[in-house]
Amino acid sequence: MSLEKVVFGFFVLLAATLNFGFFIGDLSDPALHNVYELFAAVVVSLITTVLKFGDRTQIGAVHLATSLVADLQLIAAALMWAWGTQIEGGLTPGTMAAVVSLSGGALLANLVSVVLLVIETTTFHRR
Amino acid sequence: MTARRRHFSARYAEQSPTIFLILRRMRVPLIFLIVIFSVSVLGLTLIPGQRGTGMSFFDAFYFMSYTATTIGYGELPEPFSGGQRLWVMATIYLTVVGWAYTIGSLLALIQDRTFRQALALRRFSRTVNRLREPFLLLAGYGQTGQILGRALDSLGRRMVVLDLSAERVDALDIDSYHADVPGLVGDATDPHTLDLAGLEHPRCEGVLALTDSDEVNLVVAMTAALIRPDIPVVVRTLSPAIEHRMRSFGSPTVVNPFDRFGDHVRLALHAPASYQLMSWLVGGPGAELPAPGRPPAAGRWVVCGYGRFGRKFVEDLRADGLEVTIIDAAEQEDEPGVIVGDAADPAVLRQARLADAVGFVAGTDNDATNLSLIAAARRLHRGLFIAARQNRRASAPLFAALEIDWVLVAAEVVAREIYAQLSTPLLWRFLQDMPGRGNEWADRLLDRLQAHCGSRLGSVWKMTLSDAEAPALGPWLRGGDALLGDLLRSPHNRDEQVAAVPLLLLRDGETILGPEDDVRLAAGDQLLFVGHPVARRALIDIMLNRATSEYVLHDRTVPAGWLWQRLSRRIPDS
Repeated sequence: MSLEKVVFGFFVLLAATLNFGFFIGDLSDPALHNVYELFAAVVVSLITTVLKFGDRTQIGAVHLATSLVADLQLIAAALMWAWGTQIEGGLTPGTMAAVVSLSGGALLANLVSVVLLVIETTTFHRR
Repeated sequence: MTARRRHFSARYAEQSPTIFLILRRMRVPLIFLIVIFSVSVLGLTLIPGQRGTGMSFFDAFYFMSYTATTIGYGELPEPFSGGQRLWVMATIYLTVVGWAYTIGSLLALIQDRTFRQALALRRFSRTVNRLREPFLLLAGYGQTGQILGRALDSLGRRMVVLDLSAERVDALDIDSYHADVPGLVGDATDPHTLDLAGLEHPRCEGVLALTDSDEVNLVVAMTAALIRPDIPVVVRTLSPAIEHRMRSFGSPTVVNPFDRFGDHVRLALHAPASYQLMSWLVGGPGAELPAPGRPPAAGRWVVCGYGRFGRKFVEDLRADGLEVTIIDAAEQEDEPGVIVGDAADPAVLRQARLADAVGFVAGTDNDATNLSLIAAARRLHRGLFIAARQNRRASAPLFAALEIDWVLVAAEVVAREIYAQLSTPLLWRFLQDMPGRGNEWADRLLDRLQAHCGSRLGSVWKMTLSDAEAPALGPWLRGGDALLGDLLRSPHNRDEQVAAVPLLLLRDGETILGPEDDVRLAAGDQLLFVGHPVARRALIDIMLNRATSEYVLHDRTVPAGWLWQRLSRRIPDS
């Protein structure tokens, strides 16, 4: 067991769980989606991406790609949220739905990451 | 050249792009930065401001962005509460540390030796892959490589250089080359390094193994012969045993400087003018006519130093029937007559009876020893003919000051030899056949060369009298009465000659050395000229331009333009 693998697995899973936590609930209801949870999801997702830097294997490359997709989706969701609060002057159900569905896309990418992590674990269980 | 596909990725592991190296090294600093940013932003949203609530995420991120990057617009959107100021104070110091760490790591990475090597390697292999002209691969950029590199560059040939020493490869940037010469610090015995340097590149037209080590040269020759059997390989070696091993792989051209020097010595003994002509022609463009030199008299020679050079030299002298006395520091098993002792010792020299010898050879592998030997020998016998081996380039002025009759510089011998072979194959052919024509013939040719070109060698070039290269000469060549002398008339005044001398005429594999004016030319002949560059342009003009060739060959003035030809009804026959 290496600390590096623990940290890596921890962040990949945490990114997925936080994302899931933000996503769950009625799409257009702002009360069901905590903005702090979105913030945490963005930060953890960014850290996960950096952790995946520089891995030269094929599976490492796919890991990095999924993480970049998740980042893109979550940052788009955060921008949407900023648009709603700062420019429209309040979160309308439509804007909220856009924010949450964007984070839903990120969730899909994060789930792929988790699946990859599981595949990697079962393939290289000796190391 | 056939369009060979490079199967390079299949045979060797692909180098990862340098961007991945940067990313891997930047992992920790980047994570540190993200954590600091997120903690600061989170804190600002939680700490109550003047209205009792925290900032929104948007405002907090905005504020942190301009604060952390030290731009600092002030307290926006409204003045901060005491709690907020306390937090901001902490975050300012934190983010400064974060940025300093990140930028510091990035700068350290750029300074890093491995990183720079990785960058240089990528740049090198990209440059080599993009070469679209034929190029030569030089393994070893020592003295020989540098002399040869300059000569080949002045001919407009492209090169790629491999050497173990970083200093020599760095010197490529400082050396004044016309073309860009990519260089790599690497081990030429590694096939992957040779591949990076373009061994499998379809435009690679030859491999030159010129390192100081015979072993390395052997491996390079082997690799080249196995991976690219279709390209010529030229190898430098000092050992006959290695030469034999090299020849078992393909058919490399092996150049042994000691061997070649022996040939030169014998040529100089028998035919001084031939030797003079040869050393002039291989000197490259702009070489001065070498001084005739004092021909060595026949008689007994004294050779100091019985190493590889000494052995070869003694062998050559004996083959000419000359008597040889050998002095060496160690006893030699195969040579019973060797005088054992330090040659600088007057008693030892006296034992060698220098007074009645004609020639003296200082052939040890130490320049200081050689110089002192020459001085000692001169003291005993003024008029001795002296040959010496110069090992280091830095000693050249010392050897020049002693006014030695022959100096062997192995690097120069190799470089000139290879230059003569690579520059124009016809010149090589000429040099091979020339000694057979005898001393007087060479003397006459030298006089002719001097009369036309002066004492400074012009360029040496080849011309083919084909329809493609000489369209204006077609009817004249087919006429059956094409005298070489007519072709060499000057386009300015046909009663004068252009300043070029034909050295060799090649027709269907047969050569005529130094063809005279009354030689009849035929289509497809190849001519090797030496002369002034102006003469080369004049000849090209005669070969390409119908109006010039009509004047030069037939003393007819023909209008150059199509319209005027029609109007004046003077149309050159085709």
